[in-house]
Amino acid sequence: MTPPATPPSAQAADPSAVLRADGVTLAHGQAIAVDTIRLAPPPGRLTAVVGPNGCGKSTLLAGLSRLHRPAGGTVLLDGRDLARLPAREAARRIGLLPQSAQAPDGLTVADLVRFGRQPHQGLLRQWSPQDQQAVDRALTATGMTALAGRLLETLSGGQRQRAWIALTVAQETAVLLLDEPTSALDLGHQLEVFELLRELAAAGRTVVVVVHDLMLACRYADHLVAMKAGRMVAEGAPREVVTPELIRRLYGVEAGVLRDPDTDRPLVVPRGLAP
Amino acid sequence: MSLLLRPRAALGGAVLAGAVLVAVATALAVGTVPMSPLRSLPALAGAGDPADILVVQRLRGPRLVAGLLVGAALGASGCLMQTLARNRLATPGTVGIDDGATAFAVASVVGASTSLAPSAMALAGAATAAALALGLAGGAGTSGYRFVVVGLGVGAVLGAVTSLLLVRAPIDAANAAFPWTVGTLNTRPAAAVTLLGYGLAGCLPLALLIGRRLSVLRLSDSVAAGLGVRVRAVRLAALAVAVVCAGLAVAVGGPLGMVALLAPEAARRVCGPYGVPVLGSALAGAALVLLADTAGRTLAAPVEVPAGLVTAVIGGPYLLWLLLTSRPRRLP
Repeated sequence: MTPPATPPSAQAADPSAVLRADGVTLAHGQAIAVDTIRLAPPPGRLTAVVGPNGCGKSTLLAGLSRLHRPAGGTVLLDGRDLARLPAREAARRIGLLPQSAQAPDGLTVADLVRFGRQPHQGLLRQWSPQDQQAVDRALTATGMTALAGRLLETLSGGQRQRAWIALTVAQETAVLLLDEPTSALDLGHQLEVFELLRELAAAGRTVVVVVHDLMLACRYADHLVAMKAGRMVAEGAPREVVTPELIRRLYGVEAGVLRDPDTDRPLVVPRGLAP
Repeated sequence: MSLLLRPRAALGGAVLAGAVLVAVATALAVGTVPMSPLRSLPALAGAGDPADILVVQRLRGPRLVAGLLVGAALGASGCLMQTLARNRLATPGTVGIDDGATAFAVASVVGASTSLAPSAMALAGAATAAALALGLAGGAGTSGYRFVVVGLGVGAVLGAVTSLLLVRAPIDAANAAFPWTVGTLNTRPAAAVTLLGYGLAGCLPLALLIGRRLSVLRLSDSVAAGLGVRVRAVRLAALAVAVVCAGLAVAVGGPLGMVALLAPEAARRVCGPYGVPVLGSALAGAALVLLADTAGRTLAAPVEVPAGLVTAVIGGPYLLWLLLTSRPRRLP
């Protein structure tokens, strides 16, 4: 396996795609899960979506990825209506890692990552050297090269999560959407995943990640989106938007917000439930 | 997927094709008139002893073709259903298609007022069972699991109908209906075989066309959708192919037990876990049915054991062996 000439994560097909939600409403049947949200995650940045359980974070992500058709408003990709884009073309621009992804038994890491090339293949366009290079780059970027031949079921939770992220990276999309990629991981593995996501964003991608852990979001996000009951209640750099009022409003928790002396990022210290 | 990338799948396909050839040679060779391949193969082409030609072309040939087609259809159908339901136990047998075909065919034999031939009734029964299961499960939809569970229920009801019909029928009629409850290639109505041939010719290419998208679908619906697969359309196409193949196959041979369960299992073993081995399953099914039928008509001669009984008898232990010798694993 030859090391790629350019930095592994700097290979997005079109690193500067702009994804924009324009007054998007998403509904499950009659119940509105996401209510007229305007959002434009900045390219080249890591955007974190936070909020209490059931606030519509995951639905928002599904809406941004064309999985969930908006009941109102539009999602625009470089100014074009995402819902009108052919599925395969959209998948070449937007990668999605849903929650609790499952793989059949017997697959190796490399097998799984190869699936990421699916949107780039067609009837006449079979597996090519470019596909293999993309897979190799994704394995390198996620630090999974040494484990490429291992069976998925023999990996630890953190390694398996990295393998899934590698699949999404191999898709080589300008936009990466991840739904709680760290939910089942310990602290070390959580940081590992976020360091990786930050690198991917630094290479020019638009990275949006739904995350439960406010501490991680404050530590790593360039851009924070706070949601409650389907609406966006705050948006901006963590050090500007994370305040005791926001924490109380989101979670009903009294908290102090300190400054990390090293990074000047907010540190949330919960004190108790709000009266 | 290129041969270079998937040598194992290509090799597996070759192995299974070899198994089919062995099964064909055996089926032509053995019987009341034993015949070496040196005699049977020229006879197939119309050369050699007229008696040999008669045996091969009129007796063994058509039965062989029926066996190959039925096995291929059941194997492919089982493979698709298992993939759709993400469950290795989902087959035309478990989702009620076999039971539907049996119930309708038995009804026709024991003299419920119908003018349709048993094989046409079997096809109608398979279609009815599939339509019932689909309708009650709310369409091809997103959840293969729901389709399987509803299919189990539909199958149980139709199985009870079969039992009721057999119990109330005169003993002679019940006897005549017996082959339709176990599956055999002895009856094999010519029209049904022809129809199955056309069905396979249309269905298998379609299944191969969506093969790669199907293998992505095994990951989970949302991952597949994120990779640009039109999940609903692919599911619907695969389900249609599976139901048509199974329906046409049971119209020829009745419910051949275990074939749709075993063939994909064997194909996955040989071809590796990466793809969905539709073609491999078809080949494995063809070999399995042909060997089972050959064994059934020769081992206990002059008594003929229905192929469906043979597949069930060798299938049960074989399945257990497969499951016990494979690594401990979750059901996909």
